[in-house]
Amino acid sequence: MSLVQSIVPFLARRPAPAAELGATVKPQHTLREAPDAWTLTVYLPGVTKENLEVTTEAGALSIVGHRVWQQPKDWTALYRETSSANFAATFEYDLSVDEEKIRAELKDGVLQVTLPKAAALQPRRIAVQ
Amino acid sequence: MHIIRYTYPTARSLAPTTAFQGRSPWAGLESEIDRLFANALGEFSEPAAGNTFPVDLYEDKTNTYVRAELPGVNRDAIHVEMVEDNLSIQASRTQKTGDREEAFAFSRTLSVPENVQADKVSASYENGVLTVTLPKREEAKPKKVSIAVN
Repeated sequence: MSLVQSIVPFLARRPAPAAELGATVKPQHTLREAPDAWTLTVYLPGVTKENLEVTTEAGALSIVGHRVWQQPKDWTALYRETSSANFAATFEYDLSVDEEKIRAELKDGVLQVTLPKAAALQPRRIAVQ
Repeated sequence: MHIIRYTYPTARSLAPTTAFQGRSPWAGLESEIDRLFANALGEFSEPAAGNTFPVDLYEDKTNTYVRAELPGVNRDAIHVEMVEDNLSIQASRTQKTGDREEAFAFSRTLSVPENVQADKVSASYENGVLTVTLPKREEAKPKKVSIAVN
């Protein structure tokens, strides 16, 4: 790492994935906490399993969903409220998440990501000798 | 009254030292800038869900199409109705989180062009998107008439 990068870490960061995707839109999402895990629900209408990328890297979960449906050539848009932009969102998490056990499930355009809490951080009873 | 004293970085404070333990002296500034950007750009995220949903209206030569984004809705929980020139879409979603169950209801009524054959409307639901096909009436379809020029 060069001196400049160590002074300004921003320069050492990877470019945002948005650069390759073109314009992206942040999907609607909700986060809920249960005693043993967090559940992240992301609404991705029009995204199939094949067109969804869920990756974890350096404490960040990134979700990129490509829209499959393309407007057929002979269709004319009369009125639009949705955007054709792909979905992209990044969520940061700390060490309390067990990265190895993150699970994701997509059904009817809803992605549910389960982030289990690390066992090491759950309360543990210590036997007194 | 607050007195704020600004100190300019010196060569010593800029040099990466072990005292920072790999943390840059600018780390605080950097996260502050990230926060500012997140606040400013947060506006670009999709509008918050109320009890409505976004729809698109398209047409081609024979049909008018309505595409509605309804992620996570059961097919049985979607009701599509045509009342005169209005198309009404009602849907509900139940969401399970652990042992809790939440229900959301959505409804929307749109006026569609008059020339629709209401009895031949069909709908399909795939990947969280509902597509309603509204066929146009015969007389509404463009007719091609060639006129001889003398």
